[in-house]
Amino acid sequence: MRIALSWLKRYLPLAGHEAKLADLLTFAGIEVEGIEKLQALGATVIAARVISAEPVPKTDHLKLCLVDIGDTEYPEKDADNRIQVICGAPNCEAGMMAVLALPGTALKDITIAKAKIRGIHSHGMLCSERELGLSENHAGIIHLPPDTPVGVLADRLFALPDTIFELEITPNRSDLLGYKGIARDLSARLNVPTIEPEVQDLSAPLSTLQLGLFNEEPTLCPRYTARVFEGVKIQDSPLWMKTALIKSGLRPINNIVDITNFVMLECGHPLHAFDYDALASRDGATGHPDIVVRRAADKEAFLALDGKNHELCIQDLVIADGKHPSALAGVMGSKDSGINPETKNIVLESAAFHPGTIRKTSYDHKISSDSSYRFERHLSPRYAREISERATALILDLGGVKAMGNLLDSYPSEDQEIILGVRPSRFKLLIGMEIDPAQMKDILQKLGFAYIQDAAHQPGLVADLNQLAPAVTAEQVAQYYRVPGYRKDVTREADILEELARLIGYDKVPQRTVLQQVMDRHAYRIQKKAAEWIVAWGAYETLNYSFTDPAQMQSLGLKEEDQPYIHLINPQSSNQSVMRVSLVPQLLTNLAYNINHAERDVKLFELGKVYLKNAKGHTEPKHMGAICTGAINEEHYKNKLQAVDFAWAKGCFEGLLQHLGLSPQAQACSIPYLAEGEAFAYELDGKHLGCFGRIQSPVLEAWGIDATNLKQEVWLLLWDIDALASATRSLSVTFVNIPKHPAVVRDLSFLLSDAYTYGQVRQQIVGLEPALVRDVQVFDEYRSKQIPEGFRSLSLHIVLQDQEKTLTDERVDALMTSVQKTLSEKYNITMR
Amino acid sequence: MQEQLELMLREAEQEISGCSNPNDILNTKAKYLGKKSVLNSLYGKMKDLDAQERPAFGNQLNQVRSQIENLLNLRAVAIKEASWKSEIKAIDATMPGLPFGRGGYHPLSIIRREIDEVFLSMGFEIAEANDIEDEFHNFDALNTPQDHPSRNLADTFYVEGGFLLRTQTSTVQIRVMENYKPPIRIISPGRCYRNDKPDPSHSPVFHQVEALVVDKGVSMSDLQDTLQNFAATMFGHKVKSRIRPHFFPFTEPSAEMDISCVVCEGKGCRVCKQSGWLEMGGAGMVDPAVFDILGIDSELYTGFAFGLGIERIAMLKYNIPDMRILFENDLRMLRQFKGEM
Ligand SMILES: [Zn+2]
Repeated sequence: MRIALSWLKRYLPLAGHEAKLADLLTFAGIEVEGIEKLQALGATVIAARVISAEPVPKTDHLKLCLVDIGDTEYPEKDADNRIQVICGAPNCEAGMMAVLALPGTALKDITIAKAKIRGIHSHGMLCSERELGLSENHAGIIHLPPDTPVGVLADRLFALPDTIFELEITPNRSDLLGYKGIARDLSARLNVPTIEPEVQDLSAPLSTLQLGLFNEEPTLCPRYTARVFEGVKIQDSPLWMKTALIKSGLRPINNIVDITNFVMLECGHPLHAFDYDALASRDGATGHPDIVVRRAADKEAFLALDGKNHELCIQDLVIADGKHPSALAGVMGSKDSGINPETKNIVLESAAFHPGTIRKTSYDHKISSDSSYRFERHLSPRYAREISERATALILDLGGVKAMGNLLDSYPSEDQEIILGVRPSRFKLLIGMEIDPAQMKDILQKLGFAYIQDAAHQPGLVADLNQLAPAVTAEQVAQYYRVPGYRKDVTREADILEELARLIGYDKVPQRTVLQQVMDRHAYRIQKKAAEWIVAWGAYETLNYSFTDPAQMQSLGLKEEDQPYIHLINPQSSNQSVMRVSLVPQLLTNLAYNINHAERDVKLFELGKVYLKNAKGHTEPKHMGAICTGAINEEHYKNKLQAVDFAWAKGCFEGLLQHLGLSPQAQACSIPYLAEGEAFAYELDGKHLGCFGRIQSPVLEAWGIDATNLKQEVWLLLWDIDALASATRSLSVTFVNIPKHPAVVRDLSFLLSDAYTYGQVRQQIVGLEPALVRDVQVFDEYRSKQIPEGFRSLSLHIVLQDQEKTLTDERVDALMTSVQKTLSEKYNITMR
Repeated sequence: MQEQLELMLREAEQEISGCSNPNDILNTKAKYLGKKSVLNSLYGKMKDLDAQERPAFGNQLNQVRSQIENLLNLRAVAIKEASWKSEIKAIDATMPGLPFGRGGYHPLSIIRREIDEVFLSMGFEIAEANDIEDEFHNFDALNTPQDHPSRNLADTFYVEGGFLLRTQTSTVQIRVMENYKPPIRIISPGRCYRNDKPDPSHSPVFHQVEALVVDKGVSMSDLQDTLQNFAATMFGHKVKSRIRPHFFPFTEPSAEMDISCVVCEGKGCRVCKQSGWLEMGGAGMVDPAVFDILGIDSELYTGFAFGLGIERIAMLKYNIPDMRILFENDLRMLRQFKGEM
């Protein structure tokens, strides 16, 4: 629904709230789907009279108009306040009042300038609705009422600037389908009283025209009212009404149709008008037309206002005259019974229909109208008379009526009133905040709920909630209300509580904390993933004391001068007298223990704290260390035994980093207890993440392991878990589109001198065409007698893929040739 | 022409029945239905026929064509089915599968992870703090009198600079209450230290999990429920829990908590010393004095806390007779827990 701020302000003073209106609506539960700003047009857009409009020779549609601009300042107007303007609109005619934009005006799409068209000067432009930004209508220029004073500003005529809100009304809130409903809701929220339209005079001479009313379907049509107006003058509506309709997205038609639409938008309740003289009599004897509310006959024909033929069925409710359907009830009128320029007498309908019937008819016949949209959402029959009278007042005012009939009103059984009790204690329980009973009463009364005084002394009024849950204090006693008819959605106490919460504002509901976010969940996950990783690689977890032997740490080169130890004052023994600064000494002890118990394949890890003294005190970061030697798999007839070596250790170490989303490169490093040239460290942005390397034999010997006899490499892997947690804290995957074109794999086998590394070769290959080379994989490496000393054979898969297109053989061949050429030149490879 | 067709059909039938692989089928198809086939050439000759004869002849050709196609399809299916049958071979299903060399967790870690999961699912958070603590957080804030024996060098390890190795993870509770307002709902698993010589039931380094809940309206009845949930998840639904009066300086009322014996199901046995109950740890409602020390309004808030020894749970659950076994890190012990978690 489109709501114009200027129109809304007729029902609710919004001064001071305009800027926040969108938020107010949103928090009232009315979703604002769009906001459209209608700009002020300024002093140069005015009402002007077209004095003459002569065709411009040799053009088919242009007219040269002489336009009276009155007292409006314009340097080039003549002594009689006239200027000339070229206009191309078909409906431009002499004598009309038009909207003129003088040169210098900045409209929504164009800025008007003095122009020369076909050699004739044109001082401005006569405007259509679209050019003023009022609507999309561009069929012709605006015809202002003939009595509009020349020179009056368009801003005044069209209530500009203005703001249009496109609202999404939830299906339960039929009360919000009109301006007054929205104003009522906002009024309760803002604590500002609404403004009721002035009650107009409803007196008119009594018409002699008769009308019969037969409501044969009181269930489907709980109320039907009709009133005859005699001698109506069909003409344009006043500009203010037209403007209001246009801004709400409706096209003005004529005064009568516009009034029904205007009242529908104002009150949220649709009305319909029939041409009295087009209605047939049910029984010729009476001589006057009849209105019969009935079900359609099977296959009864209906020509709708939109010009389409429909075949009705018994489920459709129609408003018929004595013979044929004049309207599909609440959905659309018939073509023949509508108001037309020749109409003299009219019947005004104000009714209520069963929402299900309207929905079904609208769905079955694929007709959706502003009327069906509202009736489907359930409108109370209670207000039919009131609505009819509002329209009557406007018709009497604007329709040139000679006489009118009495209101015919079929209202067989009155709309059932609902009385509900609501407890402040229940509000506290459901919403989590106290409500002052006085505030409760205030809010509900503003929403139209009628407070029932002294309900407790009216036994049988409703079930007594106070008996259900005895009040703690007098304040907590239940209050009782009559639910207004327009709130068909409120049927239980819970519905009222929702209203109270909505009006107080969900943003006022206090937050009750249950979790303080004490836990570092990310660090916890990283720690868990790391342990799972190393266990999957075959390691068993050990747990060692936090204190250890200072001599052992010293002997590993973990010198106290570099990293001071924290000493116990009362250790149980000297070899448990300092807090550990590394997991390595105890892991070595665990290794030695197990090797000395006849184990050969040992993979052990510990995930625990180390205790590091520093200038400020100390820290207790978590590390994960693994010590591994021997077979990496069990002997099996399908799988030959392999031992822990460089490739295994590197795969395991880097694998965890990749598992956590990190891929830093290894850097050779020097660690006292690791073999020279076989120690590698990893850093990210200067932060140490960990290292791995082979334990030197002297170290093993020092721990009582016979390294010569062992004949196995022992590898150590050490991750700084806290560093991994902080390095990965803000990482997340960004999806990349799956390549549409197939990858091509080419192999390359060559002899490489030991002077060069695989890494160098790989970098070279990737560097040649980074966009195409997706991966390089080593699938073979060997040395043999056939291969010269100091060389090895390497075989690589090179995976090529283009994101944009399928790679042609030519392209791949060219790339491979260039790879070979470059590798030969730079690394002196020999192809095999 | 009629004869030629029939001859060709018979010839095709013969040849198709001789096809033994998908390739034969393709070749035969090309020979009889392809561009250079006799059939195709006969289609070409149709234009030479009289207009009346054409439809009948065309019909005949189509029939032959579809007959041959049919035979080809049937033969192709037969060939496929035969090849599927030949795939079935005898295997010795008792031969071992490829071993996957996964390692395993330390039993204390297994218990700890399980406890984490139980409490995380109950809406608790996990909080950690340093092992090296000051006296305030380890003793003073927990309402421990200055002359309490637990402060002795014989009971507590002290490190340089006036610090000590925490004797219980309650220190974490104090640190959390210092930094966060209630509601608080945490467990704090971690290492603790006491100056005990290692023996079957003591270790200078051991592991604890403490739980702390502080909120409005927390009572002993919440403590009962949390303990029962914990016991049932950890040891099975038959296990019951109970609390009985005890003394701790930082809780009031204080309690010792027991679970029904997991060995004899409460009937009485050697493990439970015939009592039917196993002692699990200390518990109680946070002493108002502790709240006062930390500046939490003890009129507004109440809380409960309890502590569990992880070693004890592991030893009970896995029937480990000596605590020292847990710190030897012997692979023959560690491998036994491969199947846990
Ligand atoms: Zn027992």
